[in-house]
Amino acid sequence: MNKCMERDIQEMLPDLLHRTLAADARERIEAHLATCDKCKEDLEVLRAVKAAAIFAPSIDVDRVVRQIPPYRKIVPVREIPARSRAVAWLVAASLAVVVAGGGSVLLLQQNQTNRRTAIIHDPGVQQTAAGPESVGPVVVRGGAPLQPRINTALPHAHALALVTDVEGLSDTGLRQLMNDMDRFDALPAAEPEPVISVDSGDSLDQDTR
Amino acid sequence: MIPSPDNRPEETDMELIDRWKAGDSRAATRLVGRHSQALARFAASAGEREGIEELVQDTFVRAFASLDSFRGESSLRTWLFTIERRLMLDRRRAERRSRETVPVEESDHVSEYGALDSLIAEEAQERVRRSLDALSPTQREVFTLRVQQGLSYKEIAEIVGSTEGAARVHYHNAIQTVKEFLRDE
Repeated sequence: MNKCMERDIQEMLPDLLHRTLAADARERIEAHLATCDKCKEDLEVLRAVKAAAIFAPSIDVDRVVRQIPPYRKIVPVREIPARSRAVAWLVAASLAVVVAGGGSVLLLQQNQTNRRTAIIHDPGVQQTAAGPESVGPVVVRGGAPLQPRINTALPHAHALALVTDVEGLSDTGLRQLMNDMDRFDALPAAEPEPVISVDSGDSLDQDTR
Repeated sequence: MIPSPDNRPEETDMELIDRWKAGDSRAATRLVGRHSQALARFAASAGEREGIEELVQDTFVRAFASLDSFRGESSLRTWLFTIERRLMLDRRRAERRSRETVPVEESDHVSEYGALDSLIAEEAQERVRRSLDALSPTQREVFTLRVQQGLSYKEIAEIVGSTEGAARVHYHNAIQTVKEFLRDE
């Protein structure tokens, strides 16, 4: 038995059996088979294998068809395209920026208002106040009295508004302001109380030595 | 349209699929009739001896239930072989049965050939079947798909989930084994 090197022809032998080759390829293989014992033997084996395939049960087509369910179209789950998802994120981010920005502006405005007007609680005056409508001390600015901003919602609340523009006050107004300030309770110290440490004397001893 | 032997235009698989989707049950009958024997032969040559008809039936039921996923990139038959092969693997895993050859029952034999032809050919065919049993499962699948079904290496690679080159190697090894088996017998 010769050893055939025509590997592509060997691989095409089943196509020759099934008559699926083009005319030129079939002629080439048939010419090769005339001289190659190995391929001839291969072809005989393939014929036998193909013939052996008849040993399969015949299928009852109608029975199979009866088991097939009627057609139902599969509706694919609608996926949000990546572009739409990006747009959704962009909108969400924009809304977040607007909300955060708006909130910041409102807070800033409120802080500025608070800076301009400081409401100071005056418990001494509160005791003598007739009611929530009691205005208490009046800051006079440029001869005209300035109404301090008072939280009238609080009963017996009394407060003094300190206008930041103190330089604009007249002498009378300034004097009035000073008098009012004298009546205030001491404000808490901005600085912490000095801590008096109890020294054991060791460190002193060391220093003096 | 594919011309049939009697020169009547024969509908392609895709045309029949469209007709079945449109509600024509006769299209399903045509499709099953066209491919069922090939599926039965593939199952038999792949080593299945029992329940081949049920296997073929399950293959069609599954295929028709998911016909929307068939895009026509391969032939319908290749796709059906892929489904059937998966079912065979599932069945083997489930049953965990031995790979010993079980003789094919008389009732399983097709009536394509006459009784006399069957008797004459039986001995030789039995030897061939035994030689196929000597192959590894993948070799047998590749070999029978190539020789008995006439599929291309590309189609076979698709069915067995391999490459075209690997399918060619399996084919060469298989024919070598079969030849040696038949020589030694």
